[in-house]
Amino acid sequence: MQVILDNALDRIRAAATGEELEAVRVEVLGRKGVLAQLSKDMGKLNADDRAARGKFINASKQALESAWEEKKSGFDRAALARRLDSEWMDLTVPAAGVTPGSLHPITQIQWEIEDLFRSMGFTVLDGPEVESEFHNFDALNIPADHPARDMQDTFWLDGGHLLRTHTSPVQVRGMEKLGPPLRMIAPGRVFRNESVDASHEHTFYQLEGMMIDREVSVGNLIYFMKTLLTAIFKKEVAVRLRPGYFPFVEPGFELDIRCLICGGDGCPVCKQSGWVELLPCGLVNPHVLRKSGIDPAEWNGFAFGLGLTRLVMMRYAIDDIRWLQSGDLRFLRQF
Amino acid sequence: MKFSYSWIRSLVDGLDLPAESLERLITMKTAECEGIELAGELLAGAVPARVVSVEAIEGGKHVVKAVVDAGMYGRKTVVCGAPNCRAGITTVYVPLGSKSIAGVLSEGMLASASELGLSRDHAGIIELSDSDELPPPDHVIEIDNKSITHRPDLWGHHGMAREVAAITGKKLRNPVDLSSLASPGSPVNVEIEDLALCPRYSALVFENVTVQPSPLWLQHRLTSVGLNPINNIVDLTNYIMAELAQPMHAFDRARLQGDTIFARPAKVGESIVALNDESYTLTPANVVIADATGPIAIAGVIGGKDSAISETTTSIVLESANFNAASVRKTSVALKLRTDASMRFEKSQDPHNTVRALARALDLLPLVSPGIRLVGGLADRHADFPAPPPVSLNLNWLARKLGRKLDAAEVRRILESLDFGVAETGFETFSVTIPSWRATKDVSLPDDLVEEVGRMIGYDSIQPAPPLVPCAPSYDPPEREFLRSVRRLLAARGYNEISNYSFISEESARRFGLAVEDHVRVLNPIAAGQELMRTSLLPGIHGNIVENAKHLEDFRIFEVGHEIHKSDGGKPAERVHLMAALYSKAAPEGLLELKRVAECLASGLHVRPAEPRSWEHSARCAELWWQGRQVGRLSELHPELIDSGRAAVLDLDLALLQELKPDRSGYKPVRRFPTSAFDLSVIADSRELAGNLELHIRQFAGELAEAIEYVREFQGAPLPEGRKSVTFRLIAGAPDRTLSSPETTALYDRIVAGLTGLGYEFRG
Repeated sequence: MQVILDNALDRIRAAATGEELEAVRVEVLGRKGVLAQLSKDMGKLNADDRAARGKFINASKQALESAWEEKKSGFDRAALARRLDSEWMDLTVPAAGVTPGSLHPITQIQWEIEDLFRSMGFTVLDGPEVESEFHNFDALNIPADHPARDMQDTFWLDGGHLLRTHTSPVQVRGMEKLGPPLRMIAPGRVFRNESVDASHEHTFYQLEGMMIDREVSVGNLIYFMKTLLTAIFKKEVAVRLRPGYFPFVEPGFELDIRCLICGGDGCPVCKQSGWVELLPCGLVNPHVLRKSGIDPAEWNGFAFGLGLTRLVMMRYAIDDIRWLQSGDLRFLRQF
Repeated sequence: MKFSYSWIRSLVDGLDLPAESLERLITMKTAECEGIELAGELLAGAVPARVVSVEAIEGGKHVVKAVVDAGMYGRKTVVCGAPNCRAGITTVYVPLGSKSIAGVLSEGMLASASELGLSRDHAGIIELSDSDELPPPDHVIEIDNKSITHRPDLWGHHGMAREVAAITGKKLRNPVDLSSLASPGSPVNVEIEDLALCPRYSALVFENVTVQPSPLWLQHRLTSVGLNPINNIVDLTNYIMAELAQPMHAFDRARLQGDTIFARPAKVGESIVALNDESYTLTPANVVIADATGPIAIAGVIGGKDSAISETTTSIVLESANFNAASVRKTSVALKLRTDASMRFEKSQDPHNTVRALARALDLLPLVSPGIRLVGGLADRHADFPAPPPVSLNLNWLARKLGRKLDAAEVRRILESLDFGVAETGFETFSVTIPSWRATKDVSLPDDLVEEVGRMIGYDSIQPAPPLVPCAPSYDPPEREFLRSVRRLLAARGYNEISNYSFISEESARRFGLAVEDHVRVLNPIAAGQELMRTSLLPGIHGNIVENAKHLEDFRIFEVGHEIHKSDGGKPAERVHLMAALYSKAAPEGLLELKRVAECLASGLHVRPAEPRSWEHSARCAELWWQGRQVGRLSELHPELIDSGRAAVLDLDLALLQELKPDRSGYKPVRRFPTSAFDLSVIADSRELAGNLELHIRQFAGELAEAIEYVREFQGAPLPEGRKSVTFRLIAGAPDRTLSSPETTALYDRIVAGLTGLGYEFRG
């Protein structure tokens, strides 16, 4: 019996292929194999011999199985290694699947600024692109025949409507909707009836902002603008206010920032003045509050307008505004 | 508006700031300066020079060699091309350095009035009379008109001089001496029909008038501020307008019919030939100045040609009137005629200013027309002008508005320097009276005074301070996040966002089968081809496809934008739409990719066959339905609309999607019993819709169908021509048990029987 066992062990260890190994396993360890036969024969033995035979069979079985497993796993590992090797792949070839598209640079700047304002508790509101004369002009203290209407060349539509010339009408809609106190911005597309060239567009994007509360001062406005612009430009920004006329604010300001290109020393971008005109702002005119149902004796606030198109052009040093509405993917894919 | 520095300096005692510094101060405290330039730069070294001799140059065309006696520069030889260059005249020599012209060394130049900035006359070199003195060059500060829209007083030098005096702490000179104005008793009568349209009409009559060119100083002043010298009388009216902001007009009295001047609305059909030689047909919306026979001027806009000052004029009626701002503006817009007068009147001029201008004219006219005589006294009709109510200004409130401490004496000084009246009426409260030239529209509220004080103390003296505001979450309109998620999804899936104009052309509307009359029309389009508001994003996207296909083999684009539709009588309706397109020169499976995009936004949407539109590939178009509503359309562009390749487009109504979007609440328990699956291969006509087959299967499977998956389609042998086999995998299960084998078989049989009953076959 020991000979049979040794012989079987030798054959397992010597098996050259998985098939050979399997053949030995069936012959020795299989249901009709040698060990099974030996177990079957045990019934014919006396008790002592039977016990000895049982021990021997168990020990042999263990020895054979562990030899088989060792050999088997060796074959498996080798097979796996061969498979892996055969699956060699050149990963320097181009990637599969679509490459990401892009958001329009205006969308990107707009979202960035929306998020900034939301982090400061502002509501973001949208308004219609087609406006009534009331919301675009009258409610903003620009009655018909007011020369300020010349400041904004208007596209008129049939039915007496117009394309909004600024996002300011959303101020009025916001005040009507939210009531005081409120903090809101309104980004969006605006229209001016002027010829298109490298620095003028009839379609561009603005962002209007407004804060109405019990006590809002010019000092608050300056603080807020400084904070905002520092966040937008990602560096400390110096600002200055000077008088500006916009009928919906009183007092009204033009806000300049110290030129980011030359730091105030003077360069072609700031026309050697050291300052760049950036946005109009002011304290909300009491007439405008009243027209929107807010009592100016109790509430006041500030409002400002930010040119999103202008910011995009500043950030990416875009020298021709026409790229933005061009739909040219050679331009848009860069963002 | 252009301001002459020397003019301002003549009105502010002791003003010694250089023009550049003044420009900066004006920008910071009053109005935006657009630039500063030197008017009459050549005047710097110029001297009067007598032409001693002139001789022709051999071979020199149109030029002569002139020898001039150039005063302190001595005798100079100059080559000159002016036709009027002749011996004996006194002209102007400018030492510009020597250069050779036509072979002759020219030691400088002889200048025209235009080159010297004295007038626009460039016909020849200037000819001086003995009394003419050359003025020095002048700095001209240009102010942005938009920044003085609200300031009628800043349309004249005296108003700007008041600002400068207030800014610099100097004293303002008053050029007007009202006491010189004659007492009433004018030879002309004034009749005003509507005092609301013409609140005041004042006039003086002069005789013994000599019409001639103005003296050089006057021409220079006018030229440097952008006004064109014409003759002494007209120039003087313009001079006073530029000084006091009061437009004036001089009529040739001999050309007027009758002695009454009417200010009245024009009669229907009345017309006038104006000073610009244009004829204007007027309506009752236009106010005119008229004599007994008809209009002699369009009020506040322009004078008539018939009664204009000419060389034969010897007697004039000098008008100084005030007109309603809105009326002048309406007329000026309607007639498309903006003049220096209308620009000023539409800013609401001060009616008290009419007589000031006449008093100034009375002083100045003898300087430009020696021997001129006033006839009678002042004609002056006007409405009542109640004094504007004083404004109560609480200093504590003012300080809170500005956000800085204020000294009461400082506030008083500032307001008084701008000619506001200040009286202390209570604790920290001023009663402020408004000067008439600020009261017409500009200042009426305490808020307006915040600006006056703020700008003069300087906004840079205010410390930034964080606002004290409630701590509360902001309201977020839900559609905003949805629109963001749409854009993010498209960008992540490889689409580039595009922004197109909201305008389309009629031609383009027709091309895409959109009825032109359904569009909101732009009444004043900027260019041909931009006359309609888009009712679809398609024309824009189609343009993008065509343009980009010139450079790129394949691309994906999208736009989120407003469609603008007519709505019955009311404000046009705006719908936010997504249009995405996928283009490829090689045949793409763009349609199915776009279908998946749509499914990402509307999970479980249905595709239904569509009636093809003219711009669609007639065999590749479909409607998209979701929650029982049509939410969009999926189609390939008609091949005739693109040069090569294929373009698939998806149009989705995002406003509707947002509206239909179900709220997610609760969840479906994960199944606890295993499912079983089997394949079904249905043989059908090759144009049978897979979606239809799936619907049938679902119908016969009933609620045991956990999922029905499309696996593949097959056409060709052994199937007959025109037939296809579509394979579905059905995953069946019940929520409360494992399906038994007989149950699964029964399900299979039921589906097969059902579809066979509908005429379909099965592949074994």
